[in-house]
Amino acid sequence: MEATLAVDGQTAHSRQVAGDLAGKYLTFALGAEEYGLPVLKVREIIKVMDITQVPQMPAHVRGVINLRGKVIPVIDLRLKFGFPQQAYTERTCIIVVDVALQGMSVMMGIVVDSVSEVLNVTGAEIDQAPEFGDRVTTDYMLGLAKVKGTVKILLALDKVLGADGQVSHRVF
Amino acid sequence: MIPSKQWFEHIEEVLTRLSCDSVVEPICVERMRTQLLAAATLLDEAAHGEASALAVVVRSSADSLAAANAGVIVEDTLARWEQVKTRLASGEPPPVPRPATPGALDEELVTLASDPEMSGMFVAEALDHLGTIESVLLQLEATPEDKKLLNDVFRPFHTIKGNAGALGVTSVQELAHIVENLLDLARAGKHVMGPDEFEIVLKAVDLLTLMINELPARIAGQPATDCSGRRHGLMTAVTALIAGGNRPVVAEVVVELAEAGADAATPPERSASAPVLTPAAALAVVAALPVLTPEEAFAERRTDGLAPGRVPPLAVVPDPDPAKQTRRAEDTAITVKVDTRKLDNLIDMVGELVIAQSILAEDPALSRSTDERLGRRLAQLKRITSDLQRNAMAMRMVPIRQTFQKMARLVRDLSKRSGKQIELVLQGEDTELDRRVVEDINDPLMHMVRNSVDHGIEMAEARVKTGKSAQATLRLSAFHQAGNIVIEIADDGAGLNTDKIHAKAIERGLATDGVTLSASEIHQMIFQPGFSTADKITEISGRGVGMDVVRRNIEALRGQIEIQTARGQGTTFSIRLPLTLAIVDGIMLGVGVERFVVPTFAVRESLRPLASQVHTIHGRPCMVQVRERLIPTLNIGELFAVSGARPDITDCTVVVIEDAGRPVALVVDELLGKQEVVIKSLGDAFQGVRGVAGGAILGDGRIGLILDAGGLMGLMGKSTARQAA
Repeated sequence: MEATLAVDGQTAHSRQVAGDLAGKYLTFALGAEEYGLPVLKVREIIKVMDITQVPQMPAHVRGVINLRGKVIPVIDLRLKFGFPQQAYTERTCIIVVDVALQGMSVMMGIVVDSVSEVLNVTGAEIDQAPEFGDRVTTDYMLGLAKVKGTVKILLALDKVLGADGQVSHRVF
Repeated sequence: MIPSKQWFEHIEEVLTRLSCDSVVEPICVERMRTQLLAAATLLDEAAHGEASALAVVVRSSADSLAAANAGVIVEDTLARWEQVKTRLASGEPPPVPRPATPGALDEELVTLASDPEMSGMFVAEALDHLGTIESVLLQLEATPEDKKLLNDVFRPFHTIKGNAGALGVTSVQELAHIVENLLDLARAGKHVMGPDEFEIVLKAVDLLTLMINELPARIAGQPATDCSGRRHGLMTAVTALIAGGNRPVVAEVVVELAEAGADAATPPERSASAPVLTPAAALAVVAALPVLTPEEAFAERRTDGLAPGRVPPLAVVPDPDPAKQTRRAEDTAITVKVDTRKLDNLIDMVGELVIAQSILAEDPALSRSTDERLGRRLAQLKRITSDLQRNAMAMRMVPIRQTFQKMARLVRDLSKRSGKQIELVLQGEDTELDRRVVEDINDPLMHMVRNSVDHGIEMAEARVKTGKSAQATLRLSAFHQAGNIVIEIADDGAGLNTDKIHAKAIERGLATDGVTLSASEIHQMIFQPGFSTADKITEISGRGVGMDVVRRNIEALRGQIEIQTARGQGTTFSIRLPLTLAIVDGIMLGVGVERFVVPTFAVRESLRPLASQVHTIHGRPCMVQVRERLIPTLNIGELFAVSGARPDITDCTVVVIEDAGRPVALVVDELLGKQEVVIKSLGDAFQGVRGVAGGAILGDGRIGLILDAGGLMGLMGKSTARQAA
């Protein structure tokens, strides 16, 4: 009896979490996978442009770009998530996002294979990210959304990019 | 039981005197101690919860009267005394003390916290006003009869009071109000502004600046300095000045206050809204005040050698050009406050517009065109954009006036404290500098002014003995010279003592005995860390944590500092600063697919090395011989792992740069030319990157990294080690 109650409580809790996550997401592709970003974090989407490489940085930090007079860092999400590197194509995009770092909002660009669409995801469609053990860390996922037969991985952007916003140069 | 009026007056008088007197004679101490203890007993008899708590405080201040910090304790007692007294007199029950919940906001901050934008504006505006007040006060001190200046002090005080009142910041409002009262009386000719008045008003300005500066922190829930003691002390002192100014004035005030049912010792505006004393009680309290004439209140202070009569008021000589002065008045009337972020954004956008315009102008499709009208329109666009850029750049520039005026206050205080007679001459206050330079130059300048007063300028007697005028001259000037801004601090004091500095340098191990150094080399020693020739450490300077920091700060602004000195005639420090920090004159280097910029001032020469000039160690090219000199090489393409960099050093160009006297030869593919580039920070994400000072937006809109000579030197050791490994 007690056990049932506890399970019920947990479900209610996860439903609550999923409810908070409901909203509009910008979805994009990396390899064969689909990801989603809370649309309010997105400032703009630009075509991939010349990126100035910055030395002493991990490979996924591609460098900096000039976004109309502002210098912003660019992260290659492919490399960040361990996908093999791929030459940039016509469909490659830089999504300019706002990331919260130590209470400050910082603009960053993330390179993705292609941008898909803006999706309205309801609470019922969102599952909590399951534990995959050591193989995959899930703490930078908000959850998994099952929409139109596919699974979109919803990203907690601040956690994905947090470490890249701080001093993270490679020891030389 | 409500205590009688007599001991009210009694305790208050004792406390007021104590808070006004910084040095008290021993006999007085004993008498006052007795009186305070008696007062404490009376408070106990009042059998009033808060009164007995106050009794404890009064006793402790009685006990610590002889201690050095008696003044602070007494001021604190007085502050609490004020609160208790009003409540006791009105027969109100003591307030239930609110439990101090951490994080809970002060009542007076509620309105401010609810509107961050408004509070930010209030703070910025009030600080601005306080800056104005301070500088005008210093002028007024030299010419106390000037009604216009008096008005210029009064008005901003009134504004601060009004704004603070509207936002509910009672502490600020009360203090500003009471000072405003004093100034209002002076304006009406009913009170004469003497040395004591100036001292007190300046102190009030300092305290208000502190309180307002701390407002944002307090709103954020951080702890702030407890100013209540100082505040109440000042308010009482001002009240005493108002009351003791001259008799007719006091009579008027007494009548007015009595009619309003107000209490002179508490700020009238609070009593006016909520009268807490009966008219009779108020009269009694007010009647007690004139006992304390300014002569009495400040009698002891004069004995400690700082008699106002002995130190002439500091004369700040303003720019003699009257046309400039009127122009300044017009300027201030039409300025607009803008958030610096908006300004920076605008400047960024203008930079982009210029780039977009040049890309458009050089577009092949357009250059092929023979349409004359199109050409004219493009030329027009170019003119407008470059005009716009010039204007946008000018917006970053602010006059150095405010910084200089802060120095005026500093010199005034230093002159009072040290007893040296100093005339401060300010020149070129309208010279404009980059906003950041003006902010960052403040501390070094302050330090150097302090040094000049403490080390450079002699006491009046010593000056007269050497045939100089008793009054020393300290000249602060700013002017343009050869594309730079120069700030000079010149005194006509004793000059640097070359022998003493040399001896000290040997003592500190900064120089070797027997090695002959030129005078200017010896003078450079004062920029070494931990160097001080002052025989004794004074409050002002002599701790030797000065000039090295000054030089570092100035170098951080890409500036230089020079000394000219002559024994017995004075010292001049010249600070040379770039016009703007936003732009650097750089040389563009091409390496593979990337482009780098190195500041022109760091570059010594560049050459195409012949195979015979390149020397290898362990089969790797490590040295370039340039005119009998071996210079270590640093291959940028290799170091920064740039793709497409030329592999053979004889196909490359080497650029010799120098940092702190050490040369290094950068190996790059080619020199692309000289260009003025706009410097951009790479942001927090890349703060740890060594060898890179920032990014520059190049003519085609791409970013080139700006190389940092010092950082590259640091990398070099590691890179050669790696190559060797």
